[in-house]
Amino acid sequence: MTSEYRICTRCIMDTTDPDIVFDENGVCNHCHDHDRLMKQKVVTGKAGEEYLQKLVEQMKRDGRGKPYDCLIGVSGGVDSTYVAFLVKKMGLRPLAVHMDNGWDSELAVKNIEETLKRLGIDLHTEVLDWEEFKSLQVAFLKSSTPDSEIPSDHAIWAVLGDLADKLKVKYIVSGFNVRTETHLPRAWSQGHFDWKYIRSVNQLFGRGKLKTFPHIGFFTYYRRLLTHRRVDILNYIDFNKAEAMKILEQELGWRYYGGKHYESIYTRFYQGYILPVKFGYDKRRSHLSSLICSGETTRPAALSELDKPTYQPSMQEEDREYVVKKLGLTDDEFESILNASKKTFWDYPSYGRIIEGPALKFLYNIGRNWYRARQKRAHQAEA
Amino acid sequence: MIRPRVIPCMLLKGEGLVKTVKFKDPKYLGDPINIVRIFNDKEVDELIFLDILATTENRRPNFELLKKITSECFMPLGYGGGIRDMDDVRQLLSIGVEKFVLNASAVENPALVRLAADHAGSQAVVISIDVKKTLFGKYEVFTRAGKKGTGLDPVKFAVDMEKQGAGEIFVNSIDRDGTMQGYDLDLIKRVAEAVTVPVVACGGAGNVQHLAEAVKAGASAAAAGSMFVFQGPLRGVLISYPAQDELKRVMP
Ligand SMILES: [Zn+2]
Repeated sequence: MTSEYRICTRCIMDTTDPDIVFDENGVCNHCHDHDRLMKQKVVTGKAGEEYLQKLVEQMKRDGRGKPYDCLIGVSGGVDSTYVAFLVKKMGLRPLAVHMDNGWDSELAVKNIEETLKRLGIDLHTEVLDWEEFKSLQVAFLKSSTPDSEIPSDHAIWAVLGDLADKLKVKYIVSGFNVRTETHLPRAWSQGHFDWKYIRSVNQLFGRGKLKTFPHIGFFTYYRRLLTHRRVDILNYIDFNKAEAMKILEQELGWRYYGGKHYESIYTRFYQGYILPVKFGYDKRRSHLSSLICSGETTRPAALSELDKPTYQPSMQEEDREYVVKKLGLTDDEFESILNASKKTFWDYPSYGRIIEGPALKFLYNIGRNWYRARQKRAHQAEA
Repeated sequence: MIRPRVIPCMLLKGEGLVKTVKFKDPKYLGDPINIVRIFNDKEVDELIFLDILATTENRRPNFELLKKITSECFMPLGYGGGIRDMDDVRQLLSIGVEKFVLNASAVENPALVRLAADHAGSQAVVISIDVKKTLFGKYEVFTRAGKKGTGLDPVKFAVDMEKQGAGEIFVNSIDRDGTMQGYDLDLIKRVAEAVTVPVVACGGAGNVQHLAEAVKAGASAAAAGSMFVFQGPLRGVLISYPAQDELKRVMP
């Protein structure tokens, strides 16, 4: 982090990402990732339509005799609401799944209520045990890693997976979208599917065991990669956020709530206050960078957007007071959390540390050398 | 207010909110603080919190939690559960609870009703009457989370309580609780005809039509739980409240 400040010439990612690298033209690695992923994952126009048509038919066939064809997560936000709108339009029978982690805003629940009622979609809600989740959220704040939203992100996928297992539904349709979600540095947010990481942070800083928290164990994660199928549906259509929002407002009575993922009070405060204040990261930077690369905004427009406060300062103060109170902290405790020295994912025990650590790399290398030697022998024998 | 009040009635169990069916099978709904905040933004007329375990566990109200709730709550707030004496009443008043809902203590210690009314005014004293139909089709007052029959007739009891100084009668049908099939209109009618103070109907509301029916049957206000916390056939937890114009349209 001692190196000079630098910013990408194409997007607006900069050296606030400690791992960023630039090519000879000053274009960052995220932009290259974006281009690669766009080629690999995004299929639009006629081809996307055809692909989606086939997939939807398959989903309907697989859904026969089951109560639902697919699960969709709903948060009240643009992406998930648009997914609900799309799957319904394609004639699928979705079950909407909402995870209530205790931070829903009125706007979020109202959006969910209106859209599901108008679209005629059933709702399953998983309410996290607040006392337990509160302790876990405080633990993540105290761990000083820049990814306090990981427990929520982990839990929603756990809930979706558990429900898919229980109802024997194969497809989980998500609102993930390559165009707008590529430029996220690993250092800013890491360990979403790492149950060992979450458990160890809780062990070190929480108050007691996690008894009811929905989670995905190591093997369950890999099993589900085989048995469930995640469909990132927005990658197969010509998705434009501004247009999507207009459709939702007109057809579903949906209302906008400000920034990305600001439908949750905690997310709003975490991304809009804690991340920039404590860690110097502004998630808008990565989101806007994705939008630049996908042509939805321009570099100058994005830069001037960044000059604005993350959200109204008066509301930040209001949120701060509420968050501190709801988490059962004192102002002093919160202040000392903000001032504590920064840590990373790698400072705590995790599966990631085992997999990417020296021991497993060593084993992996032995395995690879053995495999290569065997291949070579086989070739020699053939020859 | 021109139209009759519509009141979410929330049940506390420990630190969390729950919703029961026929006073049984409490389903967890989450943290009361955030739910109060959502109801604030929805501009709800009034809120009632009932601690369903305080009396059976023989303990006082959870003042600590109630303080957090009142500090977040912009609308008038009623509280019931474990209120035993004037100390409790005074303490609740001091943390901003505007109405005291008395249930078991009204049956077991009617003098408290008079004392509380003298101290805080009749309008602050609500008598909650939990009613179950007996095998012979007669209405009977139950206390202690619906577990203890008292042998009292709800209509006569309501009249007695009015005489004691109660300012509001909250009639809750145990048989209808959580069913969302509509209020016990016959019960509401009987109680409303017998007293002059406002009657709040509770137990069974599933939609806004039900709320209107309760008012037509004589209730001054309609309270409900399930319809404000569940959505759809799977009873997915989602806080809601009818829009103002919808209420104005359907309410008599
Ligand atoms: Zn770049």
